[in-house]
Amino acid sequence: MTLVAVLLAAALLSTAAALVVVTRRHAEFARRQARLFDLDSRGSGAELTQRLDARLPLRVRAAAAALDDVRRRERRLALVLDTMTQGAVVVDADGGVVLTNTFASSFFGARHSDAVVEGRLNQLLDGARRGEAGEDELVLFGPPRRSLLLHALPLLSGDDETVGAVVLIDDVTDHQRLDAIRRDFVANIGHELKTPVGAISLLADTLEGESDVEVVRRLGERISREVLRLGRTVEDLLEFSRIEHDERAERDIVAVQDVLDEAADRHRIAASRRRVEVSVNRPVAPIEMWADRRQLVSAVSNLIDNAVKFSEPGATVVVRSRAVGDTVVIEVRDTGRGIPRRELDRVFERFYRVDSSRRRDAGDGGVGLGLAIVRHVAANHGGTVSVSSVEGEGSVFTLTMPVAFSATDEPIAESMREDS
Amino acid sequence: MTEELRKSFHEALEDVRSGIVAEAALVTELIPRVTEVLLDLDLVGAQEIIDEDDEIDEMSVALEESCYSMLALQQPMATDLRSIVTALWANSHIERSADLCVNIAKGARRIYGTTMFSPRLRGIIVQMSEEAARLYRLAMDAYVDKNAGLAAALDDIDDRLDDLQYECVVAIFEAHAAGDFDLQAAIQLALITRYYERIGDHAVNIGERVRYMVDGWMPAHAAAARVRLSRTEEPEAR
Repeated sequence: MTLVAVLLAAALLSTAAALVVVTRRHAEFARRQARLFDLDSRGSGAELTQRLDARLPLRVRAAAAALDDVRRRERRLALVLDTMTQGAVVVDADGGVVLTNTFASSFFGARHSDAVVEGRLNQLLDGARRGEAGEDELVLFGPPRRSLLLHALPLLSGDDETVGAVVLIDDVTDHQRLDAIRRDFVANIGHELKTPVGAISLLADTLEGESDVEVVRRLGERISREVLRLGRTVEDLLEFSRIEHDERAERDIVAVQDVLDEAADRHRIAASRRRVEVSVNRPVAPIEMWADRRQLVSAVSNLIDNAVKFSEPGATVVVRSRAVGDTVVIEVRDTGRGIPRRELDRVFERFYRVDSSRRRDAGDGGVGLGLAIVRHVAANHGGTVSVSSVEGEGSVFTLTMPVAFSATDEPIAESMREDS
Repeated sequence: MTEELRKSFHEALEDVRSGIVAEAALVTELIPRVTEVLLDLDLVGAQEIIDEDDEIDEMSVALEESCYSMLALQQPMATDLRSIVTALWANSHIERSADLCVNIAKGARRIYGTTMFSPRLRGIIVQMSEEAARLYRLAMDAYVDKNAGLAAALDDIDDRLDDLQYECVVAIFEAHAAGDFDLQAAIQLALITRYYERIGDHAVNIGERVRYMVDGWMPAHAAAARVRLSRTEEPEAR
């Protein structure tokens, strides 16, 4: 589909380029005419027509009108090109730039990573002027990290002579990110469901031929444990879908401290097993907000769950809240392993998990929905969630939400679905 | 060559300048890339970086030659002369920095299979890489904008990278003492921290040459003046 778009754009551009070649010739003609009559060739066509009015032969007036027309077309073309999300550069047979749009022009006379793009663009354009179409994918580390797709095509005149070249630039960073999310989703969810099912099937097989009561009891226990795990995964999925659609939301006045306490209590046992302390700080004055209590507990609980999971034994996870003007800020801070910088902007994606090779020892990781749930809860309450982290030093997750937010006023849930 | 001659001197000078910017951009991209290769112990990626170094070398040779031909054919003076001299020096620093990235890639290859990095080490390495890339970007900003003030500040900004290198070496010792790292891997990684630190030094050196380009001054001038002064004073002291 992209290829079709590229070809279409190229076809459009080649006519555009041909037009530009023609219009340039027109413009040159008109300029010469204007100089002939000692007129300001840089003045607008309309101005020119006015000044020439009546005093001069029809031929000159026609030329001025043509110039006027050409300029209007040129402006329109430039506007159209600038609204494109693609970058486009057209060069003539000698490599002189005939046309660029705003996106593409940022790569000329550039420095840092843009200078790398400039070098590659010139290589491709040189090739295309010799008649070789080419394409290239550039991964730029930036920051920000970007992936660019470059397509270069020769521009052919009617008799198959190369009159120039065009290169199109696509920013495919988001495409690739979404592709990665989809890939990860299938891999993760498949793995999460397959492991317990496989175990259950094996255990059931063994159970069939077993007569020892003690062994049967043990196998039965294992089966229920696996079923529980399966159930939890499915429950996670359902919970996520509920929160994503903000279904069954019951807004009420909620004491933020109660939410923090309840969320922390859910993890006390698991935390003490890992010898991690969960400490909930008291704010100076109690904070209340208009919220769905269940969602809020779920969000904070997910943050604490992660913080505990990635903390070393003996560490403390600190949960606290404060009111800043009309917003409530909830913070969960750990001193654990932290999140690699390049993964920071991806952790809130659903089903995203920090590189599994480094997580295997963290035990049952869940489906990777936790932080996506947090993000949706924040959005349902008109707020945001952010993270700052240094590998090896720990992470701080911060939920920032207005004290009172009416979900019906603003279609926040819609705007959060950009990655679906 | 005929094309070269046809170009005006300032066009040629401008070409050299954008050549330096393009070459430095490759290094600025290479720094985070080689860091990923190192942290992921990515053998294929390491090999790619080692192979691609030829391109930067070729670019560097071409830039050097056009500088020489400008010096020989145009005999530039004052700012123009200093610009070409600066380009020659910057070119050499940039080429050397690319080699240091290659050294990091080779180091990653040697460490392969012996260890996993602790989160703390990963954190410090990423920060060193970001600092080095930042210094390089700033050095190029100073070069393009002819900003002597920024160029002079690079030396102080580089302190952060030096501190990080020290921190990293301490962390390596600790990891080795705890048995996480065998001696060979520890030494390799200590060398790698040195490569990052050297990349920062090259950025600082480029900054010094930028100052020279803009106002003709270099830190070495102050030192040279001291030596000269001490030589003239010596006989009197006797």
